[in-house]
Amino acid sequence: MKLIFEKSVKGRDGYSLPQDLFEDIKIEECLPVYGISRDKKILSEVSEVDVIRHFTKLSKLNYGLDDGFYPLGSCTMKYNPKINEKLASLSNFVYAHPLAPEETVQGCLEIAYDLNKLLCEITGMDEYTMVPAAGAHGELTGVLIMRKYFIDRGDIRRKMLIPDSAHGTNPASAAMAGFQVVEVKSNERGTIDLKELAELMDEDTVGLMLTNPNTVGLYDEGIEEIEKIVHGKGGLLYYDGANLNASLGIIRPGDAGFDVVHLNLHKTFSTPHGGGGPGAGVIGVKKNLTPYLPTPIVALDSVKKKYYWKDVGEKSIGMVRAFWANFPVLVKTYAWILSMGPDGLYNASETSIINANYVLTKLKEYYKPVYDRYCGHECTLTGKEYKKYGVKTLDIAKRLMDYRMHPPTIYFPHFEPYAEETIMVEPPESESKEMLDKFIDTMIKISNEVKTNPELLTTAPHITPIRRVNDALAVKRAILTYDDELKLKGELKYQDKDINF
Amino acid sequence: MRYIPNTDEQKREMLKEIGVSSFEELIKIIPQNLRLKERLNIPEAITESELEDKIYHIAQKNSNFFLMKPLVGAGAYRHYIPEAEKFLLQREEFWTCYTPYQPELSQGTLQSIFEYQSYISRLTKTEVVIPSIYDGASATGEAALMSLRLTHKNKIIVSNLLHPHYRETLKTYVAPHKPEIIELPYNNGLVDIKKLQNLIGEDVAAVIIQSPNFFGGIERLSEISEIVHSKDALLIDVIVESMSLGILKAPGEMNVDIVVGNAQSFGMDLNFGGPYNAYLATKKQFIRQLPGRIVGETVDVDGKRVFVMTMRAREQDIRRERATSNICTNHNLNVTASNIYLSLLGTEGLYQISLINTKSAHYLENLLIKSGKFEKVFDYPFYNEFLLKSKEDIDTVNKKLLENNYIPPLKICQFYKEESLKNVLLFAVTEILSRDDLNKVANILLE
Repeated sequence: MKLIFEKSVKGRDGYSLPQDLFEDIKIEECLPVYGISRDKKILSEVSEVDVIRHFTKLSKLNYGLDDGFYPLGSCTMKYNPKINEKLASLSNFVYAHPLAPEETVQGCLEIAYDLNKLLCEITGMDEYTMVPAAGAHGELTGVLIMRKYFIDRGDIRRKMLIPDSAHGTNPASAAMAGFQVVEVKSNERGTIDLKELAELMDEDTVGLMLTNPNTVGLYDEGIEEIEKIVHGKGGLLYYDGANLNASLGIIRPGDAGFDVVHLNLHKTFSTPHGGGGPGAGVIGVKKNLTPYLPTPIVALDSVKKKYYWKDVGEKSIGMVRAFWANFPVLVKTYAWILSMGPDGLYNASETSIINANYVLTKLKEYYKPVYDRYCGHECTLTGKEYKKYGVKTLDIAKRLMDYRMHPPTIYFPHFEPYAEETIMVEPPESESKEMLDKFIDTMIKISNEVKTNPELLTTAPHITPIRRVNDALAVKRAILTYDDELKLKGELKYQDKDINF
Repeated sequence: MRYIPNTDEQKREMLKEIGVSSFEELIKIIPQNLRLKERLNIPEAITESELEDKIYHIAQKNSNFFLMKPLVGAGAYRHYIPEAEKFLLQREEFWTCYTPYQPELSQGTLQSIFEYQSYISRLTKTEVVIPSIYDGASATGEAALMSLRLTHKNKIIVSNLLHPHYRETLKTYVAPHKPEIIELPYNNGLVDIKKLQNLIGEDVAAVIIQSPNFFGGIERLSEISEIVHSKDALLIDVIVESMSLGILKAPGEMNVDIVVGNAQSFGMDLNFGGPYNAYLATKKQFIRQLPGRIVGETVDVDGKRVFVMTMRAREQDIRRERATSNICTNHNLNVTASNIYLSLLGTEGLYQISLINTKSAHYLENLLIKSGKFEKVFDYPFYNEFLLKSKEDIDTVNKKLLENNYIPPLKICQFYKEESLKNVLLFAVTEILSRDDLNKVANILLE
């Protein structure tokens, strides 16, 4: 469809501009010649009505969680409660300036303080920082905490162990923190190879970053042994909370020996993904690591009954962003936990595990699982069998769109020889049995289409606003702005068809 | 539970289909001695109406910010956000969808990001724009890391008029790579250019300058960029108040290499400090070293113009420990917010708001000086933030303002300890404050 620039009409405006009541002040007297722009920066010129229509139309080209099934593995696309949005947008929160005096923001501080306590109880940790803006940001924060802990002890370690099934953010975060990444292979059961771990874990290693259940959806049964091996060499255990949705009220990372935990509040705790954020990647630690948390944390003066900002102190890793937190995400998380209660949280994990195992059971005959064993809150299937028909996993995923479902995560995890052509399905607790049955039927139907009409898959999707995209051309042309496109006008040939759903 | 559709009956049916007699059989792999023996010790579930009541009451413990206008900025600026933006943004298709990995189901988000990249490219006069890093501070950290990779040098000069939170974040980000960080002092409210000439050498990777700086001062970027480039270093310009781009010269015109912009002013509420967003804009030649996601234009099989995440070989999910950054989830919804906001503002709107912000800040400064209660700290050109030394104790000043429903200006001693900045306030003015407001502020302080 047209770009906003292509709808621009000179002289049109979409904003109710305040009158310039400062005509007595000359701008040339305010700003220096070297700083002032000679001409106006050209944006677009459209009316409010144009903007409403443009973005409404754009929105209809997206597929959101409220549109239907969204079984992205390790992403926990669960329902985002509507009341929480309203509560997070109360004007007393929305218009609170981050540098407003403490006495004016007691409500905000209370929520951060209470949420800290709730998250500690849910995960068995001692203290949380609300600062990190996203999962990977939390990872970086957590890994920097580990780094500082060792530096502080005069014990300089250079390596970080990361399983081959880990999210790409784990090795990337460890590398950003200056560590050399050492990959730990998965065994034939899909979990950490304890023998290899014992060989790799040494006194030059800060520890292990582990997702549990891992990205294949499997609980690591060797967790007690893993804890002994890592702690035995003085290392620390890092818990990637991407898959916490399988553990609520069942097992707490803190009790299993994890020293640092990050939680994706936009996954397990129901806050929306927003097309790729904002979320929040809060970090929980055990007592011995609290001096290293990023500064500041919220504390309560129990005598004065006032909340206040507390500087973490000299050992802190410092700041990892400006200000304090993605605050509305905290409000929504807090609201969700209060709505769920202890039984609701357990129910969420129980239901998501049953959902995933139900899908696994019903589909394993058609899509061979990476490991044929019960899974956690997600199951990892493969489309390997269908390669002989000239159909890739990608084609299966695209075909699902024709049935108005979002595809699962594909090609991840990837580690040979086990996990190839993977299809990782995560049906969280907010999906009903009827929805799962529909998905299962559709997947079976697609598996038949592979054999009867493979072209239907290789050319899918057919009914979406656009169809398969030429990725290579995007890289080759590198048109990254409208002005890039304008420079190439004449060379570009587009079908004049407008996109519509 | 209203968010969990499956009934107990359905769960039993499903367990039967799976072939187990109980849920326990599915999780027996989890060692018993690590299991929770009791229910979580958190409050029992409350109803939706109880929840609303509870959070309303907590919100009441804040001041009534709706009626309070800020005289403080320092990295977070309240501008008016048209309802059209808030209304559109809440469409579930923008609000609840995932990162646009599947372009067939995500053209709305992808085109919106592309349009935003185009806007920022025009505003900054740069070729390529990374639309989203969490915030200005973390983006400054990423830009510094990028400069180390690009130059293979290991020394960074940082203006000490870079926002203190940004400076702290930058230090945290680069710490593992152990670069030498040299603080560039200020002189009369702007960076000391003579000192820069003395400090800079061939071993410097980048010079990081904020303009308008933390005191609001407009830096001489052209002059600085000549000095920086004469030693083959990179110039990173951090823009904390992006609205200033409406009237100030674009960094690209002044040969800045990397622009880091806090985009909060483009349609984001204060929200007690976040989520905001930052862009990172630079030259096409540096594309391979850029952190984060970018959207490009291409065609689909039918030949339609479409948009897709591109240049992905830099990213963590593909390159793992060799990626340019670990960033994954960023602040894409804020990108759409900014895109809608800038579309509503348009060419004239952006210019006018920027103009009014400049003029009204100068109007207030003038009023306060004329009142005899304040005096200038520096004689420097500023945009919409300025320092004034108060003759009265600043705590008393701020108390009066607070009592009159103004969020008080920043006590600069919170961040700068020098004697000359004692009893000094950093004021910020946006279009939220009318001329009447500014007169009122001056009157309050005259009493």
